[in-house]
Amino acid sequence: MENKIEELRKSASDAIKNITQDLKELDNLRVKFLGKKGELTNLLRGMSQLSAEDRPKIGKIVNEARAEIEKLLAEKNSELKAKELQKKLDSEKIDVTLPGRKIFQGRLHPLTLTLNRVKEIFIQMGYSVEEGPEVETDYFNFEALNLPKDHPARDMQDSFYITEEILLRTQTSPVQARTMQKNSNNAPIRMIAPGRVYRRDDYDASHSPMFTQVEGLVIDKNITFADLKGTLDFFCKKIFGDSAQIRLRPSFFPFTEPSTEVDVSCVMCKGEDEHCKVCHGSGWLEILGAGMVHPKVLEMSGYDSSKVSGFAFGMGIERIAMLSYGIDDLRYFFDNDTRFLNQF
Amino acid sequence: MQVSTKWLKDYIEINCSADELAEKFTMAGIPVENVIHAGEGLEKVVTGKIEELTPHPDSDHLQICQMNIGEKDLLQIVTGASNVQQGQIVPVALVGAHLPNGQKISKGKLRGVVSMGMLCSSDELKIEVAPEDYVKGIYILPEDTKIGVPVAEVLGMDDDILEFELTANRGDCFSVFGLIREAAVLLGENPNFPEIKVREDDEKNSADLIEIKIDAPDLCSRFSARVLTDVKLFPSPKWMQERLEGAGIRAINNVVDVTNFVMVELGQPMHAYDYDEVTGKVLNARRAVEGEQLHTLDDSNRLAKGGELVIADAEKAAGLAGVMGGFETEITEKTKTVVLEAASFNSASIRRTSRAVGLHSEASGRFERGVNSNATVTALDRAAQLLQDMGACKVCKGIVDVYPVQKNEVKVQFTAKQINDRLGTSLPEEKILDILKNLGFKISEIDVEVEPERVFDKISFAAKHLAKSAKELSENNTVDDFVKNIGSTVGELINRSHSDSFTTYEAVVPDWRNDVTIMEDLSEEVARIYGFDKIPVTLPKGTQQGRQSKIQNFIDKIKFVLSNLGMNEEVSFAFTHPDTFDKLQIPADSELRKAVPIMNPLTDEFPLLRTTLIGSILENATRNFSRKNEDVRLFEVAPVFFPKNLPVTELPDEVQKLCGLIMGRKDPKGWTQNNSEVDFYDAKGIVEELFEKISVERYTVEAGEHFAMHPGKTAVFKKGREILATVGEIHPKVAENFGINKKIFVFEADIETLMKSTSKKFTFENLPKYPAISRDLAILVDKNISAGEVEKVIAKSAGKFFKDVTLFDVYTGERISADKKSLAFAIKFQSNERTLKDEDADDAFKNILSQIEKNFGAELRS
Repeated sequence: MENKIEELRKSASDAIKNITQDLKELDNLRVKFLGKKGELTNLLRGMSQLSAEDRPKIGKIVNEARAEIEKLLAEKNSELKAKELQKKLDSEKIDVTLPGRKIFQGRLHPLTLTLNRVKEIFIQMGYSVEEGPEVETDYFNFEALNLPKDHPARDMQDSFYITEEILLRTQTSPVQARTMQKNSNNAPIRMIAPGRVYRRDDYDASHSPMFTQVEGLVIDKNITFADLKGTLDFFCKKIFGDSAQIRLRPSFFPFTEPSTEVDVSCVMCKGEDEHCKVCHGSGWLEILGAGMVHPKVLEMSGYDSSKVSGFAFGMGIERIAMLSYGIDDLRYFFDNDTRFLNQF
Repeated sequence: MQVSTKWLKDYIEINCSADELAEKFTMAGIPVENVIHAGEGLEKVVTGKIEELTPHPDSDHLQICQMNIGEKDLLQIVTGASNVQQGQIVPVALVGAHLPNGQKISKGKLRGVVSMGMLCSSDELKIEVAPEDYVKGIYILPEDTKIGVPVAEVLGMDDDILEFELTANRGDCFSVFGLIREAAVLLGENPNFPEIKVREDDEKNSADLIEIKIDAPDLCSRFSARVLTDVKLFPSPKWMQERLEGAGIRAINNVVDVTNFVMVELGQPMHAYDYDEVTGKVLNARRAVEGEQLHTLDDSNRLAKGGELVIADAEKAAGLAGVMGGFETEITEKTKTVVLEAASFNSASIRRTSRAVGLHSEASGRFERGVNSNATVTALDRAAQLLQDMGACKVCKGIVDVYPVQKNEVKVQFTAKQINDRLGTSLPEEKILDILKNLGFKISEIDVEVEPERVFDKISFAAKHLAKSAKELSENNTVDDFVKNIGSTVGELINRSHSDSFTTYEAVVPDWRNDVTIMEDLSEEVARIYGFDKIPVTLPKGTQQGRQSKIQNFIDKIKFVLSNLGMNEEVSFAFTHPDTFDKLQIPADSELRKAVPIMNPLTDEFPLLRTTLIGSILENATRNFSRKNEDVRLFEVAPVFFPKNLPVTELPDEVQKLCGLIMGRKDPKGWTQNNSEVDFYDAKGIVEELFEKISVERYTVEAGEHFAMHPGKTAVFKKGREILATVGEIHPKVAENFGINKKIFVFEADIETLMKSTSKKFTFENLPKYPAISRDLAILVDKNISAGEVEKVIAKSAGKFFKDVTLFDVYTGERISADKKSLAFAIKFQSNERTLKDEDADDAFKNILSQIEKNFGAELRS
């Protein structure tokens, strides 16, 4: 009996070892040895003929043999399964270097992106965003800004006229006058006015008959030129980075006194390249005009210039976008070529 | 305005480079646009004499020159110029020269003959005001020119030129004297202005020879004249020619040169008349009559519009005042007697005339910015003096001067505190006064009735300091000492509060400055001389709430959503053309054709303001299409313009619109895509997605009409009667008009209408507690029945447990009859109170079925 069991154990173990591929064969072996009519079961049936002494002994041997065969079967089973899985995985291999499935990406226009950054900075500083019409009266566009008819400074802004008294606004400053006239009692103002403006300039790499401007206006008690300088310094550092410096040059605008042109240190070469294509070696880039609001402008819109003072500034969004993105031709903005738009 | 540093150096010592001087001017508000450096590129160009000239053996047009350049040996140079002769002195570029025009000179052989340099034309040397003959040919120098010296020296190009781009307010700096005054302050030097003195060496009185009248005193505030006799015309001296050339003015003859010289030096434009040609011996500043003939010195006959200021003699207008002189009275070889004019004309009038005539001269530019009417007599004297000094004339006695209303002195009151308050500085009073005095302001202390606020300022200032001093004294002193010392402290404070920034001053503005009238102007003067770079950096005190308006936020949201739906934002011009209306098939009587016209459009391309965005977006699509950008997905939010009336008399309505366009592939080109093209439902889907994101709900969609769209593929989104959006395929004819042979889908919406239609408030909805039951309904209906209508009926007849309905299949084709289509809907039922039973859904389903049978003759599809 013992020999038979040993024989069976051995033949089962050999049979299991010999299986290399088929899980079904393995299952057949399980049935063959351990099944209801399997060989080991048959052996167990013969146990009844054994003596009571031998029975537990043989029983133990049978159980051990059974356990061993089961273990071998289980091991083989997981071995074969792993093999099978590996085979499946191998067969499923794909070319992962093929490009992923694309979807159309839409982009905001670079002018919108730039304007959004500018708006964000000023909204954080407590400015409200005001708007006004693009077709304006001569009064709001010029006269309320201390630019009477025949003022030579009107030459700086060649205008598109609709009638003698109505024109496409040449700046967003009329929104300032409109906002001031809505207020009363010298109410403090902190505002920016973004928008499209129009000048009768030929369309070329640096001029366009339509472009985007942001004007700013702050009116309150004790507003100083130093406040203006600090505000613009803060703004330029936010837009162009902490290392950006500003330089103020005295200038002339009829609506401010004192007036200044503002340069920012070259975003490209930081003033270190004599042959820099962006600043032409000067190290500075003109980016905006500003000044202390002229008392006449305050008075014309109902503010008392002896009680409050203010500053104003104006900048071109195209200019800032060109410097930020390194764009060298203004016409790209209005050409709307998808190869351009897709880059932002 | 441009001027050579040589001219400036005549009157002031300049110890810095031209670049440094330019920087100082610029940073003080006198912007220098450009510095042209002395003899740049002329370093290796010298004068040379042609000692021998022989023809080239192998060329018809080349000649071999043996040049004497002041050295032992002659230099052989081959030239192709035809205007050279033996004995002439010419500019010679030596080997190694790098000429202003970019040309580099090296040793070479021309047809086998060695050439050691080049003879130069004025063009090659970039001499702008050279005689015309020398522009292309070789520049022939005067016979007495020294040989072997740098040509820059000979031509007076050994000097730097400053090119100013002056601001409109600083008319005074359109003169050498004005710039000297500024330079004196900036450099801390004392200017040396020339002494202006004239010998009246003709017995005759100017006043007996010429009568001066001002008929238009509003346009001419002063008219002064002097008569010069025995006038001899000849070229002006070299020093004067050089200075004029440095200022960009070509030398003509001594009389004209002197008037120009004085204009640049003093800023006062002048004009010289041939006295013998002045009819009636009278010059009158009057308005031109409409249609009056004006024969100007460019020998053209102009017709006056009427109202222009002219200077007329007894018969005719002898010139457009301040813009262009008259032909008949021009100075010629025959001129013997000259009337010199120095006048002050109204700047607005000069500006109008010079724009109308299209002529901007050195004179008109100065008048436009305003000249100092107090300076006319000085100008006449200076001109007479210069001509007399060169032996060109005799000077008659006296000046004829008509100056009806003397210019008032401008006085400005200020305190140092006001100026510091405006600038945010704390400059000592002396510093402020010094700056203003140096700029020519006469300052005096004045007694004014002090306003209550200022008294308060004074008292609070004194109180603050007194309290501080008292505290210090009490800490370190005995009572006796305290009493002794506090007295002197109070006295000191009283003195200081007087002398300190509270003192009111009066500044008399120098008469050459017409731009300073108020305290704020003085603050700019102080700031620009003190230096903008030294102004402190602070931020406005206090805080305010920053914000955007609702509509701005709404537009930002729309842009954000559409860009996330794969659409690119475009920005296009607000202009349009009637041809675009035709291309869009806009009906002749449509409001959209009544566009706002521009009086002075840039080109004929853009005479109108647009009334629709579709034209621009199609143009942008066309441009992309022609550049082989096949997949175009664009949108724009911008205003369109509708006049309230035509012709326009008031501001037009500006209406914010949204427009979008898609064409090309559904998905980007790629190996996984089937490259199918977008269709109507892609465009409609974008609108639906947008509406969902911006909370536009409970709208209906129906077939609609649009002039530019396919009649069978146009849908309107509506809420009540209001049209929220129109979406459709561009009419094939319109697409063809724009040159596109592909399907284009467009949508259009009105921003304000959309905003009005958004759900006011977003509220969260609980997730359902009980499961839903779904029933599929597949029906056959006539082809022309719209799915939207069927959906509406389903929704209406589905009972109280109805949740939603989704159309999930549409079929037309061979499996059903040709005039039918199959629609398949999934209808969902759900309750918030209990789990529904099958019977609940079955009942509803039966009702739906009977209703759609009744309404559409639909049959259930088996």
